[in-house]
Parts: sequence; C-alpha cells; structure tokens
Amino acid sequence: MTQDNNFMHPAAEMYASEEKAGKLDRREFISRATALGVSTVAAYGLLGLDAPAVAGGHAKMGGTIRMQMDVKAMKDPRTHDWTQISIFSAGWLEYLVEYNNDGSFTPMLLTSWEANADATQYVLKIREGVKWNNGDDFTAEDVARNIIGWCDKGLEGNSMAGRMASLVDEATGLAREGAVVAVDSSTVHLNLLQPDITIVPGMADYPAQIVHKSFTVETMVSNPIGTGFMLPENLEVGVKASIVRNEGFDWWGYAAGKGGYVDRIEFIDYGSDPATHMAGFEAEEFDLNWETTGEFVELFDSLGLVKTQVASGATIVVRPNQGHAPYDNKMVRQALAMAVDNNVINELGNASLGVAADNCHVGPMHPEHNPDVTRAPFDPVKAKELMDASGHGDFEHELRSLDSGFWKDTCDAVAAQLRDAGIKVKRTLMPGSTFWNDWTKFPYSATNWNHRPLGTQVLGLAYRSGEAWNEFAWNNTEFDGLLAEANSLANADERRVVMGKIQAIVIDEGVTCQPYWRLVQRHNVAGLVGVDMHIAYLPQIYKWGHAA
Amino acid sequence: MGMFILRRTGVMLLTALCLTFIVFIMTNLYPNLEKLAKNEGNFRMSDAEVASFLSNRGYTQGKLHNYGEWLGVLPGYVIEGVDGKTRGRCSNHGAILENANEYCGVLQGHWGFSSRFKEPVSQIVVTRLGLTGKLMFWVLMVMIPSALVIGVFAGMREGSRLDRSLSSGAILTTATPEYVSGVIFIAIFTSSAVGLKWFKGSATSAMDHATLENFLLPVLTIALYGMGYIARMTRASMAEVMTAQYIRTARLKGVSFANIVLKHALRNALIAPFTVIMLQIPWLLNGVVIVEVLFNFKGFGWVLVQAASNNDIDLLLAVSVVGVVVVLLTQLISDIGYVFLNPRIRIS
Repeated sequence: MTQDNNFMHPAAEMYASEEKAGKLDRREFISRATALGVSTVAAYGLLGLDAPAVAGGHAKMGGTIRMQMDVKAMKDPRTHDWTQISIFSAGWLEYLVEYNNDGSFTPMLLTSWEANADATQYVLKIREGVKWNNGDDFTAEDVARNIIGWCDKGLEGNSMAGRMASLVDEATGLAREGAVVAVDSSTVHLNLLQPDITIVPGMADYPAQIVHKSFTVETMVSNPIGTGFMLPENLEVGVKASIVRNEGFDWWGYAAGKGGYVDRIEFIDYGSDPATHMAGFEAEEFDLNWETTGEFVELFDSLGLVKTQVASGATIVVRPNQGHAPYDNKMVRQALAMAVDNNVINELGNASLGVAADNCHVGPMHPEHNPDVTRAPFDPVKAKELMDASGHGDFEHELRSLDSGFWKDTCDAVAAQLRDAGIKVKRTLMPGSTFWNDWTKFPYSATNWNHRPLGTQVLGLAYRSGEAWNEFAWNNTEFDGLLAEANSLANADERRVVMGKIQAIVIDEGVTCQPYWRLVQRHNVAGLVGVDMHIAYLPQIYKWGHAA
Repeated sequence: MGMFILRRTGVMLLTALCLTFIVFIMTNLYPNLEKLAKNEGNFRMSDAEVASFLSNRGYTQGKLHNYGEWLGVLPGYVIEGVDGKTRGRCSNHGAILENANEYCGVLQGHWGFSSRFKEPVSQIVVTRLGLTGKLMFWVLMVMIPSALVIGVFAGMREGSRLDRSLSSGAILTTATPEYVSGVIFIAIFTSSAVGLKWFKGSATSAMDHATLENFLLPVLTIALYGMGYIARMTRASMAEVMTAQYIRTARLKGVSFANIVLKHALRNALIAPFTVIMLQIPWLLNGVVIVEVLFNFKGFGWVLVQAASNNDIDLLLAVSVVGVVVVLLTQLISDIGYVFLNPRIRIS
C-alpha cells in the first residue's frame, strides 16, 4: 500500500522537528519527507500520527463510470500537454511514483527510493512481480530505459526533459553517460549533475507514464502494452473514448490492494462550454465531470451533485510578454501588476473560489514559500504615474483570453481595474482552438497553470530563461542562478532564504500579475468513491469505483 | 431531360471545383497552417519547429501544387524531412506505408486524412452525415406536414381569426433564430431551475439511440424555424388559389368547402411550397450547425465547426463539397419536381 522500507532520510527528521515547531505545515512536511524517500507511514510516524486509511476501501468491483472530458488525440506520453490525454492512457500505462492530495508521494511501480544527504544520488527500488500485459517481466531495465527516454530533448514537445534536467547532458540533449544505471534487475541508480529535489515529484507528473520497450506512437492504442489493469476500447477524438478492464490479466495492484474497481470508464466530449456540461449532467449522460469552474460550482451544487474540492497551487497568470513593446519596459509591467487588487479579482473573476496571491507564482502550498515577501502594494494612482513615466501612458493594451470560464472573468476584472486606474485596455476573446496555438506569444494574455508540488517547479518550467513554456519571454540570469541554487538546497529554511530573493525579483520585475490560487473542484453523482478532484489533475483511475 | 440533368451535374462539378479551390487557398494561408501544425504537433511549438513541421509534411510546396495533389492530378509528395524521417501524403502525412499509392487525390477516391480526428475524411463524413441525416429526417417529418397544414388552414379563409392567429404563430417561429429558441427550450424544459425536466438538454446519447426524450428538442428547434417560413409560403399560395376563377365556379356549383379545398385547391396550392421546401433544406444546414453544437449532437454541422476551428484542410474541403452537392441536388430535385407538379412547365 505504501513504501515497505524503513529508510529514514536525515533531512526528514529535521523537517519533522520543523513541522512540530510550526515552521512547516503538515502537507508540506509529508510532501518533502516522502520526496526524499521516507515512506508515508514512516513520515506520519515521525509526526506521531497514523497514516490515513486509503479511501475507496468501500468500493465494490465492477460497473461503469462515465466522465465528461475533452477527448484529445493520443500521442507519446512524454509530449502530453493535457492531463486529459494522460487519463485515457493511464488505463494501461502506469507511473513509478504517485502524488496525492495530502502532498505525499507513494510508490507505484517502485517500492521505494532513497536520496543521499545532498540529494545528488537516488536509489530506486523496482516493485517485484510486476508483469507487462504481454507477459514480459517488468524490470529495472524498463525503468532505466524510460528515464533515459524522458531526457531526450530532441523529441518535439517532450516536457519530461525539463523535469529531468539534472540528468541531461546539455551538449547532446540526451541523458548523460552514467546518469541512469540499472544496477540489478530491481535497482536503478540516478547520478545527478547537481542536487535536485524535484526529480521524484517530476516522475509523478502526468507525462511520466512508463512504456514498454516495443512502444511506438503509431501503435500505442492499437497494441496497448502496459502494466495497468485496463485496455483502450475505442478512441474517437472529440467525441468519446472508453477503456475497459483487461480481463484475465493479473494486475499487480489487485494483490497490493490498490483497487482497480471499475470494469469500464467512458470519456464523453462535451466541448468547452460549461453550460453544455450542465445540460449533460441534467440529462444524466455522465456520472462525473472533469472540473467545475466559476459560477457553475454553485449551479452544480444546486443540482444535488457531490462536490470534491481541494485547495491547490493551480493559478492563472495575466502576464505581459517581454518580447513585445511596451512590455520590455519594467515600469509598464510593474504598473500593470500594481493597478490590480488581487482580492477583487478573486472575488469577481474567480467567484471567490480561491485565495489572493502575491504575483510571484510561489504560495503557501509550496514548502519553500517565503511569506514575508509580498506583492508590490495595490496602488492605482502610483500605477498610473509609473505608466505615464514610462512614456506609454496613452498606449492601449490588448488583453487576450479564452472566451469563457474563469479566464474570461478574470481578465474582464483585471481590465476593469486597469481602466479604473486610468490605463487603456481593450479585451479580445478567443476560442480555445485558436488561443492555445499562440499562448506563449501573445503580447498580453492569461494562462492557467496547474499545481505542482514544489515552488521551484513552475519557476523552472515557465520562468527560467529559454524554457519552451516561458510565456513571459523573461530572461534574467540572476533569477536563473538563484533558482539553480534553490534546487540544490534540501533544507527548508535555507531554501526559503533563496526563495525569498527569487520571489522579490519576480515581483520587482513585474513579470506577471498572478491574482489568486484556485480551489479546484469537480462534481459527481452520489454513490461513487475515489473519484475526488486531484490537486494536480493526475489520472488515478484505479481508485475509482461504485460505493459498496 | 437527360441533357438537363447532365448539364446540372456539370455545373455542380464546376461549382465544387471553384469552391474547393477557394477553401484550399484560404486554409493554406500561413497563419492557418501554423494553427494546424500546433494543433497536430504540440501547441507550445516554436516558430522554427512549426516551419520544419510544415515543410516535412509537404505543406509548403506551393498552393497550386498541393491543390493538384488533393485533386489527384499530381502525385502525392514523398519528402525526406529535416528530422531524417520520410513522410508521404499517401501515407496520411506519416511514415511511408508499404501499400501507399503514388496518387491519392479525390480523383482516386481518397478524400484525405483528418488532422483533427486522425481518421480518413471519407469515414468521418459518412458517419457524421449519417447522424445529421437522422436529425434532418425527423426535422422534415415534423416540419413539412405541420407547415403545410398550418399554411392551408391559414390560407383557405384569408383574413379570418384562424388565419390571423396561425400567421402570427408562423411569423413568431420563423423570426426566432435557432440559437434563441434552442436556449429557451433547454432552459424551460430540461433544467432543474424551472423544474419541468420533461426532456433532455443534451442530445449526446441520441447519437446511439434516439428517444423522444433526448431528441425532441433539437428536432423541434430546427423544425420550428423552417416551419414558419414554409407555412407563410403555403398560406400565400393557398390564398391566391382560393381567389381563382375556377374555385369561385366550383363554389357557385355548390361543391362543399371541404371538397373545394382538398380536391380543387390543394394540388395547385402545393406547387410553390414544394420549391420552397427544397430550397429550405440547404438553409436548414445552418440550423444544423447551431443546434448540433448547442445540443452536443456530433453530426455534420459539428464536424464543420471542428474542421474550421482546427483548420483541418482535407476535412473542410470534403465538407464544402458535400455542401455544394446538397444545395445543387435539392435545386435539381425542385426543378424536376416542378415539371411533374405543373404541366405548363417544360424543360427543354
């Protein structure tokens, strides 16, 4: 059920004392301790608590669950850019490690991992007795091959390479020689270039699905070899998709008590308009939706549906792109952030379904967040002065966003506040199909970002110079250096010092307006278990079931 | 007659050719190709990646050349890309298949491969057209009889109270666009807010098995819009016939009113509505687009929206060809039908 070892990382004990001293909250503690290889049971034990029982213990075998979800075309897991793609392939492709709503990391295809004291070496223990559904044994070779595959920067759209950066050779864009070593059939050693605390969380992220050695993108659906308990049945892009139990396959999770309850899961595409989702719910055409946002939370509540909700690091950035004038001017960017009251945006743009944030994309749900560094104060008068002083006082900003949901509402509220401050703004609404084509390039637009366990992670994906997802077009060597330093510090207090500097730079440079952290939620009909909203939208479908 | 049909078919082919050429040029404008590349590859691709993606897949060979390939008068490209992989048009823009033909255009019966749905275009069009066919069949079954009945009742006694109320109703339905009536229907008859919940506000399950509950509202939404217009035309035609000399003669001879309407007036009065109904069918395709998206019924109209918003070139071209065929075929039927209904008209 959880890691079956008694490994105790020295830093974990330190974290435990920090937790008791009130420096860390419990979720942060669990998250950090388990990332270092301490089992969940042991981590809870350090706090003098019992590990919580796994929900879903009351599920019965069998049945079908239908979910409203965008059905997208399948591609190589490493290039998945939507969790909706991963949830379909999660039927037969599994993860090494799993991240949970309480912030902990539990092993799936691994049984344990250990980090050395400065987090530059990891020992991964492979779960024994796991079989591929074609009969092959699952071995350390498979794990090593997948990790090496993740490091391939040459593959168009491979976002795993960013997560595995400490294993990648910059010159070749591939895994470094000797970085990933299968020591024996059940052990893999990772030798990192520099200390890296995000490597295990990275392995739990949605593109990190483990594929067989015969894997090809063309045949991944027609010849679905994996370790999971289901198989794809059909996939009609934009219409519907279904996965069904792989009858006769002895999935390792049955014996391990993981679940694997339902016989069949259907994903039905209803487009992006939540009003259509509501009609579908009312027509009883599906049992749970992908996500409920904005004013629909209240509406769906009123239909008598069950809501599952979790406070997360999911957020939205309303950001200028520094590759476009006048956003190369720091004063303009500062003014855009300063003119906006984040509490008001949370209320108007997010139906108060969140908490106000500090424009630096690191928050209380991240262990290294420094609460002393806060946003530049809300001051519309000073914002206007800054804008005028920059020489762009008459510039009409064009704020683009998706044409529905919290994206639209948030940007409408931001635009209204900018106008109140005397800054000219024009709003442009775009449908998802066109908006996402250029999301990193618009001069001024809004993007939602999913939750990630550690504060350094999104900064590494989106704020580091030259990253593919750097939609801010921000290049700052000081920031890059500090981020690398933070990524090598396992100690919470030490890292918080660096993080404080990082937060200050992000805020001072006016990189973005990041108004609020979102509560994420979905709804389901009564009688389901284990279908709870996941803090990071991860596809844990083996937990789904009908209540016994 | 044979010559007439032949000529019309010629016109149809020519129109299809012109329209597809225009659609082709539009969808092959670079910003649209960029959209396509990002939809198909990864929507976070850089400009350089987009350029190599497009040239690897033959999109940048020149528009006329590509159109020729689509038509099947030029051989499909086989290009070794900068990433070292060889791709071909006849292998669905992917790695070269063993059994790939040299030519794979419309002339060879290949309608291409949809980039949005990852399926052959012909298969998508057939499936989705079938679903829309189901929808249209029921629309026509509801619309035509009710429109004719309303029109005849309203037109047989022009100016009567019955006429006034039916005409007002017809004007109201035809003046309400589908996106208004559809939303109103969903709000009133399906939502918990009003509480009636008689029908379903989503027709997704109607794709597999349509029932009165899940299919009535989409059908009604389209049918009501077309019905008002046809009823108005029928009424006008009926009213005109009712003032004709021979009707007055029949009346003076003491024929009963029911007999006058059914035996003498009706046949002549239905000539005009027949044409209107036929011309209305292509118009209904508009409604199909709106209603299918509104009710999440994945038919031809929904495919049109998806193809357009994802710049799915091959699919859009096939959709436009179908559009041309539907418009010109219904016109042809209306012209031919006219000959049978009205003996005074001859087709040379």
